[in-house]
Amino acid sequence: MKLLFILAWRNIWRNKRRSLITMTSVLFAVFFAIVLRSFQMGAYENMISNMVGSYSGFIQIHDNGFWDEQTLENTFEMPTDSIRSIADLDGVASVTPRLESFSLVSTGRLTKGTLILGIDPSQELEGLGLQEKIHPGNIFVNGETPGVVIGSGMAEYFNIGVGDTLVFLGQGYHGISANAQYPLVGILDVKNPLLSKSLVLMPLDEAQYLYGAQNRLSTLIVTPKNESKYKTIQSTIKDYLPSSYEVMNWEEFLPELRQTIDADSSGGQIFLGVLYMIISFGVFGTILMMTAERSREFGVLISIGMKRHKLALTTMIEATLMSLIGGVAGALLARPITFYFNHNPLRLLGQAGDALETYGFEPLLPASLDWSITLTHSLTIVVISVVLSTYAAWAIFRLKPIEVIRS
Amino acid sequence: MKTWLLLLLFPFFSQPSATEIVQKAEEKLRGNSNEAEITITIHRPSWERTLEAKSWALGTEYSLILLKAPARDKGTVFLKREKEIWNWVPNIERTIKLPPSMMMQSWMGSDFNNDDLVQESSIVKDYNHSHMGRQEVAGFDCYVIEFTPKPDAPVVWGKIIGYISVDGYLQLKSEFYDEDGFLINVLEGSDVVEMDGRRLPSKLRMTPVDKDDHYTEMTYKSLKFDVPLKTSFFTTQNMKRVRE
Repeated sequence: MKLLFILAWRNIWRNKRRSLITMTSVLFAVFFAIVLRSFQMGAYENMISNMVGSYSGFIQIHDNGFWDEQTLENTFEMPTDSIRSIADLDGVASVTPRLESFSLVSTGRLTKGTLILGIDPSQELEGLGLQEKIHPGNIFVNGETPGVVIGSGMAEYFNIGVGDTLVFLGQGYHGISANAQYPLVGILDVKNPLLSKSLVLMPLDEAQYLYGAQNRLSTLIVTPKNESKYKTIQSTIKDYLPSSYEVMNWEEFLPELRQTIDADSSGGQIFLGVLYMIISFGVFGTILMMTAERSREFGVLISIGMKRHKLALTTMIEATLMSLIGGVAGALLARPITFYFNHNPLRLLGQAGDALETYGFEPLLPASLDWSITLTHSLTIVVISVVLSTYAAWAIFRLKPIEVIRS
Repeated sequence: MKTWLLLLLFPFFSQPSATEIVQKAEEKLRGNSNEAEITITIHRPSWERTLEAKSWALGTEYSLILLKAPARDKGTVFLKREKEIWNWVPNIERTIKLPPSMMMQSWMGSDFNNDDLVQESSIVKDYNHSHMGRQEVAGFDCYVIEFTPKPDAPVVWGKIIGYISVDGYLQLKSEFYDEDGFLINVLEGSDVVEMDGRRLPSKLRMTPVDKDDHYTEMTYKSLKFDVPLKTSFFTTQNMKRVRE
């Protein structure tokens, strides 16, 4: 067996040009598959982190029925101790309370329907990294009067800056009137374009006062320690809380995001399938060429007593080694490129960018650095080339030594 | 033959017509003008809230309601001026004109809607009235009157059944039905007391039929009739100035 390996290794380098062509075709296949998929996955990761990571959270707890009917009537009261006990559950990093509602916001002659989010500034700004996003002002309490923070898209719509006053007109708990004026104390650089145009943040207690919903919460945001384990943590919390609460993960409360990703991803998979097919024919071509070129050599070897199965095995080892070298080289070549585009993402401009924005996504294409992409695609292509190399083995078994030697 | 028929119908003519009864009841409740202090309690299964208000009305065309409590709503004013309804919200310093489409929306979260409060539609002018017999309500012998909206009237109820006492024309109970004939709201008057020389129910309770343990109760703390009021009092400028 060791001998066969040595033979295979020497065979590869006996005809360098032929081997290099085979390796290069594998290399490009792996390279393109990884780069393509990295950009796709990177765009999805960006969408998820924009929506889930920085706004909705991975898991949300509501009063049962809140999700279907998002009114202040479906909010709940929960003592701080109970909230803390959820935060102590296994795998939970933090739990943040919120009160969400809607309001008309007006300034001058402009009015806009907005999403009001009452947050705990000490917890939320740290937990969701909002503080670093607030660019001019950064605090809710401007002296004595509480203020609000709005998304940059809305600030642009109203053409206002920090220090200007916004008028709020809405309906609170049990239809109580929720009207107030607040100064603008900060502008939030929200990545999601729709949120950026409609999000208003205010301190939780101020939102509770405005909506006449003292001590009431609409949502608890649960941040898992390990973001990929949100489903396990979701079921832990479900078991822990009474059934009067609903515990949802982001795929449940943002199904459109999950579906957009799934739909786009299957498109990408079809594209990859086509790429694989083209590459397979390329690799197959080089194997076909090799078999034809070496048929006389194979004939001679069989004539002098080389066992056909050993010969077949040698050619397959050759093919495996070559595709492995090509695959690893391809992966290594793709890595710096994905690394570069991860740190310097491409920004879509013009109509393509606008189209993405209207869907509520940031028109940014960072490449993903997930090693699983590299691994999956190099392995797939290596396996394809090994499978294709069985053609050479098959040819060896069918070979008639006399004919090939004489031809 | 004709005289015989008239004789047979005579007992029915002896009582006032349905429209007359409604007119008298409305006249009794409103006078030419009136000034009232009201407490409004909104009750929900796990929640209750009390508002205090003062109201002024002149004829059926003008009315103004000023909220005095709680603090967060203090100074809020609703004004009805002919066909227009205005809302002054002091804490945002804005005057808002309520569109007709908002007339059926809840007033300040209560079981009364905006229309009930400002009476844009009139139970005298916008409905046809017919007798449906008599019934005793809360110890009073009452005429039962069916109100059916006139074809072009700006009302949303399919019909209203009103119970108005024979003695004193008190509106003791009204049942509001939708277009499909389902009972939606019941308004009941109780605690009949004498206010400024007129005996009237001082407590009005609106109960939505399909909701458990929901009601809104309006209590008159004082009610004065034929107070001197001019139309110039019912203006959007005065809304911002009006005090108790």
